[in-house]
Amino acid sequence: MAARYDRAITVFSPDGHLFQVEYAQEAVKKGSTAVGIRGKDIVVLGVEKKSVAKLQEERTVRKICALDDHVCMAFAGLTADARIVINRARVECQSHRLTVEDPVTVEYITRHIATLKQRYTQSNGRRPFGISALIVGFDCDGTPRLYQTDPSGTYHAWKANAIGRSAKTVREFLEKNYTEESIATDNESIKLAIKALLEVVQSGGKNIELAVIRRNQSLKLLESKEIETLVTEIEKEKEEEAEKKKQKKST
Amino acid sequence: MATFFGEVLSVYSRAVEEDDDDLDDENEDERIHREIEEKREVHIVWCPEVAQSLEDSGSNKLQCSDLIIAVGTNAAGFLSAYVLNTESWDAVGHVSLWNERSRGSSRQSIAPLPGEPACLFYRHRDNPAVLVCQSTCYIAEDQLFQWTEKVFGCLQKRGLSVMVLSDSPVAEYKTPDYLYGSAVPFLRSLKSSASKGQALCPALEQPNILTGLPAAVLSHCQVHQIPAVLYQCYTDVISPDSITMETFKPALLCLSKLVKLEPCLSADVLRKFAIITEAQSNLYT
Repeated sequence: MAARYDRAITVFSPDGHLFQVEYAQEAVKKGSTAVGIRGKDIVVLGVEKKSVAKLQEERTVRKICALDDHVCMAFAGLTADARIVINRARVECQSHRLTVEDPVTVEYITRHIATLKQRYTQSNGRRPFGISALIVGFDCDGTPRLYQTDPSGTYHAWKANAIGRSAKTVREFLEKNYTEESIATDNESIKLAIKALLEVVQSGGKNIELAVIRRNQSLKLLESKEIETLVTEIEKEKEEEAEKKKQKKST
Repeated sequence: MATFFGEVLSVYSRAVEEDDDDLDDENEDERIHREIEEKREVHIVWCPEVAQSLEDSGSNKLQCSDLIIAVGTNAAGFLSAYVLNTESWDAVGHVSLWNERSRGSSRQSIAPLPGEPACLFYRHRDNPAVLVCQSTCYIAEDQLFQWTEKVFGCLQKRGLSVMVLSDSPVAEYKTPDYLYGSAVPFLRSLKSSASKGQALCPALEQPNILTGLPAAVLSHCQVHQIPAVLYQCYTDVISPDSITMETFKPALLCLSKLVKLEPCLSADVLRKFAIITEAQSNLYT
């Protein structure tokens, strides 16, 4: 049945599916995992680094991009589509600053990106954008925000979310482990993001890239040394937990 | 026949067979058909030892207790990584054929280069009754019957047992349920009625069908009552991929009864097969 209604974007199937949009969401699952966490005074974005070819410049393969000083996003899906969306978002951020003399709120720029994506699901001759985005930042009043958009043009606010290849596993981990005490401090929030990624990333810390925004500060990409330190801390904590459990069992 | 403009045309009557003119055309047609048939013929080229043992045996057949056929890049990669990685396998032959998508005719007697799509046979040194066939080239529908007849024509039917591994895109898998991402890749099996053992994964559900070389082999085994089992892996990746190759692991249980397998090295070898394509794909980030 899908075969007859899935070639044109502007055609609904008899049971109400827009197959091209749903297939676009499958394209998102081909990108590597990205996780976003909203803490109290910090927002964290963590991504699984893609393996780069030997002759490729590593710093040109980035999944986390700043849209403005106080907003950044991570994406999963088609690289080229992401570049276009990011460019349009960046232009809109500056245009907003010039016309309204205020930086964008995170919700505004998310809405702009989502509207752009939705437009491409409703015109003929174009296909939907094959990316999902996690947009994080702080509003002027200091509230931290995390939003997620998908190829259909919907957007929602989240406390923590994941997109990309093993998003379901990471989301389940976050549902279990996102508690008030797990985001009590900045460091704890960062460690939660790393722990979530370690569930699905092969070969540990060197395949993780992390970015944070703190209130009234701009985007900061963590260095690989810092990430390695945090990973070692996490592994030590895990060992201590396992030891405690063993001791409890034996007594 | 008189036309509207007054000219007279001589037309051929379908009621009468005019042999004289047609004979040349027919001959030419026949000649063209014969040439095409010869071009599309399937040739099996065995190495000298095997060719010798075929001649020595009275019936021109090889002793074979187990034939394992891998069709497709992932199935072939799985066999290369998990089975053929030890030194105890000899390359004993290859199939040379030509069709629009596999142009191997220029090198009939020379073995295909490694990495080229081809159809290769390997035999275990310690247990020469175990044959492995890796088929990564495209075999056209009209050549499948010839392939099966010629390959099975070289093998003794008595005591033969066949296992086929193949891969297929999950987009071809028809099911009423939505296949969530974590379920893919997965295995499905099909057996000939002579096959007695338990398959290691669920059977292929209707209305899914097999096509191509796996179907031809299984049909042949069904007709000639040879026990055969097929494992088809449905995967969402087009290129050879280590996770897809690992899905074939349950088949190792059967294979380890026949030949000694190297257990641990395989992960790196798998990654070697898969990583060549991963790094070059910048389409998704």
